[in-house]
Amino acid sequence: MSNETFLQQQTRRHFFNQCGIGVGSIALANLMASASQGSSEDVSGNPLAPKPTHFPARAKRVIYMFMAGGPSQLDLFDHKPMLNQLNGQPIPQSYLEGKRFAFMDSSHRINLLGTRRTFQQHGQCGAWVSDLLPHTARIVDELTFIRTCKTDLFNHAPAKLFMNTGTGQFGRPSLGSWLTYGLGSECEDLPGFVVLQSGPRGPRGGSVLWGSGMLPTTYQGVPLRNQGEPILNLTTPESISNAQQVQVLEAVRKLNAKRLAETGDEEISTRINAYEMAYRMQTSAPELMDTNKESKETLDLYGIKDPKETSFARNCLLARRLIERGVRFVQLYHTNWDHHGGPTENLEEHLPSISREIDQSGAALVMDLKQRGLLEDTIVIWGGEFGRTPMGEVRESTGRNHHIDAFTMWFAGGGFKPGTIYGETDEFGFGPVDHSVHVRDIHATLLHQLGLNHERLSIRSQGLDFRLTGVQPARVVREVLA
Amino acid sequence: MYTGPLSSRANCRFVCIGLPLALCWIIGLSLPSFGSDTLEYNRDVRPILAENCFACHGFDKAKREAGLRLDTTEGAIAKLDSGEVAIQPGSPDKSALVLRILATDDSIMPPHESGKKLTDQQKGILKSWVAQGARYDKHWAFLAPKKTPLPKISLSNDDDTTNPIDNFILAKLETEKLTPSPPADPVTLIRRLNLDLTGLPPTVSEVDAFVEAFQQNPDSARRDLVDRLLRSPNYGERWGRWWLDQARYADSNGYSVDAPRQIWKYRDWVIDALNRDMPFDQFTIEQLAGDLLPDATDEQRVATGFHRNTQINQEGGIDPEQFRIDSVFDRVATTGTVWLGLTIGCAQCHDHKFDPIEQKEYYRFFAFFNNQDEPELTLYKPELNAPSLIAEQKELEVATRDVVSNAAEAISKWEESLSEEQKKPLSKEIQKLLSSDKAKRNAGQMRSLYDAGPGATDEKFQDIQKRLKEIGKLLAEGVSTLVMKERPTPRKTNLFIQGDFTRPADEVTSGTPSILPALETNASKLNRLDLAKWIAAPSNPLTPRVIVNRVWQHYFGRGLVETENDFGLQGTSPSHPELLDWLAVQFVEQGWSLKELHRLIVHSKTYQQSSADRADLREKDRGNYWLARQRRLRLDGEIVRDVELAACGLLSPKLGGPPVYPPIPDGVMSQGQVKREWKVSKGEDRYRRGLYTFVYRATPPPALNVFDAPDGYSTCTRRPRSNTPLQALTLMNDAGFFEFALALEKIIQTEGIVVAFRRCVARPPTTEEVAILQSLDSLSAARALLNLDETVTRE
Repeated sequence: MSNETFLQQQTRRHFFNQCGIGVGSIALANLMASASQGSSEDVSGNPLAPKPTHFPARAKRVIYMFMAGGPSQLDLFDHKPMLNQLNGQPIPQSYLEGKRFAFMDSSHRINLLGTRRTFQQHGQCGAWVSDLLPHTARIVDELTFIRTCKTDLFNHAPAKLFMNTGTGQFGRPSLGSWLTYGLGSECEDLPGFVVLQSGPRGPRGGSVLWGSGMLPTTYQGVPLRNQGEPILNLTTPESISNAQQVQVLEAVRKLNAKRLAETGDEEISTRINAYEMAYRMQTSAPELMDTNKESKETLDLYGIKDPKETSFARNCLLARRLIERGVRFVQLYHTNWDHHGGPTENLEEHLPSISREIDQSGAALVMDLKQRGLLEDTIVIWGGEFGRTPMGEVRESTGRNHHIDAFTMWFAGGGFKPGTIYGETDEFGFGPVDHSVHVRDIHATLLHQLGLNHERLSIRSQGLDFRLTGVQPARVVREVLA
Repeated sequence: MYTGPLSSRANCRFVCIGLPLALCWIIGLSLPSFGSDTLEYNRDVRPILAENCFACHGFDKAKREAGLRLDTTEGAIAKLDSGEVAIQPGSPDKSALVLRILATDDSIMPPHESGKKLTDQQKGILKSWVAQGARYDKHWAFLAPKKTPLPKISLSNDDDTTNPIDNFILAKLETEKLTPSPPADPVTLIRRLNLDLTGLPPTVSEVDAFVEAFQQNPDSARRDLVDRLLRSPNYGERWGRWWLDQARYADSNGYSVDAPRQIWKYRDWVIDALNRDMPFDQFTIEQLAGDLLPDATDEQRVATGFHRNTQINQEGGIDPEQFRIDSVFDRVATTGTVWLGLTIGCAQCHDHKFDPIEQKEYYRFFAFFNNQDEPELTLYKPELNAPSLIAEQKELEVATRDVVSNAAEAISKWEESLSEEQKKPLSKEIQKLLSSDKAKRNAGQMRSLYDAGPGATDEKFQDIQKRLKEIGKLLAEGVSTLVMKERPTPRKTNLFIQGDFTRPADEVTSGTPSILPALETNASKLNRLDLAKWIAAPSNPLTPRVIVNRVWQHYFGRGLVETENDFGLQGTSPSHPELLDWLAVQFVEQGWSLKELHRLIVHSKTYQQSSADRADLREKDRGNYWLARQRRLRLDGEIVRDVELAACGLLSPKLGGPPVYPPIPDGVMSQGQVKREWKVSKGEDRYRRGLYTFVYRATPPPALNVFDAPDGYSTCTRRPRSNTPLQALTLMNDAGFFEFALALEKIIQTEGIVVAFRRCVARPPTTEEVAILQSLDSLSAARALLNLDETVTRE
């Protein structure tokens, strides 16, 4: 049997096991028994059932705060006094040889740009954080900073794809899909991989960022919507009463079960169970979104003023609620960090405002998880698809260009060593002085914490075993792990 | 846990090919021996080596370890630096390969860190193969297919077998001691044929007529039905979608900005070509190189849209060359996958690890696609003589310019003569121009002034302007589409180190991989047309096999070669190699006619069997590799829509034309970076077949996407068939599907539940089924019908 058939079988038996608790499952079991004519029905193939790890895991789930657009590490975390000293002077040519940048032909410049932010060291670990992130500054001893993250691609959509799938090519599974494929889900009535979005626009690249590539769509991220129903088509049509909905479902189940008896096609039992889970989702998803029962303290902690209003803060709270319900991977996209300079995306005005949007709630999420004992086995990630150049970009107002050689991400929980600062950049923050951490290394490290060997987690397609970390060497960055 | 399925796959293959695994186990070695059975390299040995050894001891020079190459005899028997010999044919005890795979210490191969492990059976096969002389054969797919004599089948199965497909299938079933399933009943059969050939369900009266005809003469009834369906324009729509998946067709530019694009003329070209049963070799040549054909017609240029279905990155700050190169990479990979069933794309950065394709050969292939401009072509109605209109337009423009350029003085005089009162009736545009700086006026502005002023009484000039307007209007009816155009001076192509276009190495010229039959030509330089003809040449061992396999896959849910996109060394071996070859040769002999191929397959007993599962088959052939039955297949996303639209009576029969915008849930379009407009189509365009729905790559239509419709990012040669709660939510609650339920409710009210049931699944309901549905109100009954597994499944 090829792997693809294996996957189809999994798909076929989707939810078969854990969903057999709904209406009429006993009748169904009887039908199955007669349909299968004595052959022992293997029902363990539910593709989303929790699966054993390769080795004991330190973490069970992930919340990934994706700062879409590429936050400026030089104005937030990577303190470089030399930039201010040499503000306006060209960066030495030796830094630029053989490098390519976005906007090469237009606004890209080579003069260094000092930061206007004030930096201070915080906590026991002494991490530098700028004045833009006062809440984050307070929790640095919970965080693991990697200041020498490295990616390969410097345009938004390809770089986002790269950060999510390990390649700039389309058609590969995203991190969340790999995890639900590799680990299954611990949630019976919500998808295993959920995407939340905030900010003025959707992330560049769209649905492919949470796509399942060559894995079945069972593993693709399901965006929870901010407005209207949280999951597409979750709500029963307006004119239909709940009683009618249940009657329809019941009739569909009975008729499908008859067909199952007639044909013996296991695919039908999968569908019967998919309908039962769909019905459960109709209740569980709105319950998830309803934050009325959260205390005022909690809302204040996250800085949520109106729980009904879409915001990064509300998404942080929803992320915690999703994790509590057993969802494996929650990804929060927040736009727009693309501060090139210009009327709507400059460092003077817009970096401070977006920093405010994420600072308190991001820090609150970490602390809230900690209070609830969830941080231990939940990895929280903060970072964009790349960072920004030490050189300024000249548009109508100041900004920085995309930069891929060294940028900062932070991690918390899930066995990451708290209060750690890893990787040193050069005097301008252009490139790493030591310990460059490639996207592949980040992926390998995350999988490792979740109990998966990045070289073993693979899917066969076109005769090849595809992996999140691809064919180039990738290493688990053990130095940042507790 | 992930190696589980892979090893079970290997097991399965060996069980399937009927190797006598239960043969005696050699005491001491504990390995199964295959002593008296001759092992075949391609069937028995290569899969093990490819899976476990070739990554480090294969074709890729750069990654070769210990100087050992195991994919050729020469490499395997060569003396290694260590002094050992990997394979000493006939002497397993003197062969390092055998000793190393049997090692119990750290010298074991494959090494522990590879995560790969041979089973005892695999070790036994390798050992016996070496003992038998370690004979290598060329990979089956690179050898020309041959028609072998039809296998004889025993009398019990051979009641009136006339279709060669059945000979091959039945012969194999006999060896496997399996019996075929009975034929599907006529109702199931007509629905199956309808859905497979046209993607639409039969109407109730069509079903009744067929059943009646079938009772009188099954053969002629089937023949007439298949003939009718293959003649139906809906055939082109159904199979057009099959091809559009492979062409990665969609209606937007992709990447982040994802602006809409217009290329539906290409989609219509595909549908039309299939309906006309254009021979597949021609179909290939026109799409890959229609622009290079002598006296290429507009239609042939439209066909080159195949390779314009690549994405275009419109993000700011990009290096356009990078993304042009990316689209060429995609064209190479897509061509390799779609026609050759080869993962040529793997050799972009390094020599292919498994297939004999060098990196240099990759870039020689790349060179064919590195020499195009990517323009738009505007098409006009055939009755419109566009070239002459465009020529006339040019002439008249020149005449206009001449008049205006000599009229500066006249304009100036007129302008000065105007009183304020006289200016008032003039148009706003002219008034504005009059107050502008004379020195700064451009030709267009002067023309407007002349037209309004001195030219107003210039009859000849006015006639010209009138004619220009007419021509402009006529030409505006043209529809543009994206096409390929060869550049007069070829671009240079270099090998890129690691596939990185900033690191060019040696220059290469266009050429085809040496493992395949040579491209014969007298030309000094090869272009896309040469490549296209080579791909579609009868001597190409891959193209006909790959295509017949992909057609087969559509009918049985799986190809004879399961890895439909990889016929290389890593792909699976065909389950019925002789049948695959017979079909491939037959396909070419029948003039590459797809319709004849369809006819052949659907008239086979193999195809017409019942799809019901059987206890004995569950045990002996759970995966249905030997086809002792048909298989129920969930319909493709577009066809789910089509079937429901047809069942509820709303389906628009309109063929072709611009893509349409059926209702989608609110907020879908705001998921992308740029919020795109989705103005819901009015009238019948609201109810068009699924393949006409506008597809934005970044925000694909959810009702199609949720049923695994591809998003056009890369070629799709096989759709997954997932079965998820989100599909249930879509069919239950989506406003679009709810609208269909309301329409079906009306049918229930006027024609009754039985008719409604039959519109969905063709067969009449049982009394029990009627009772279940009649216990519901009519709207609920309609919703239930549209949610049945059977409604969205081909049985």
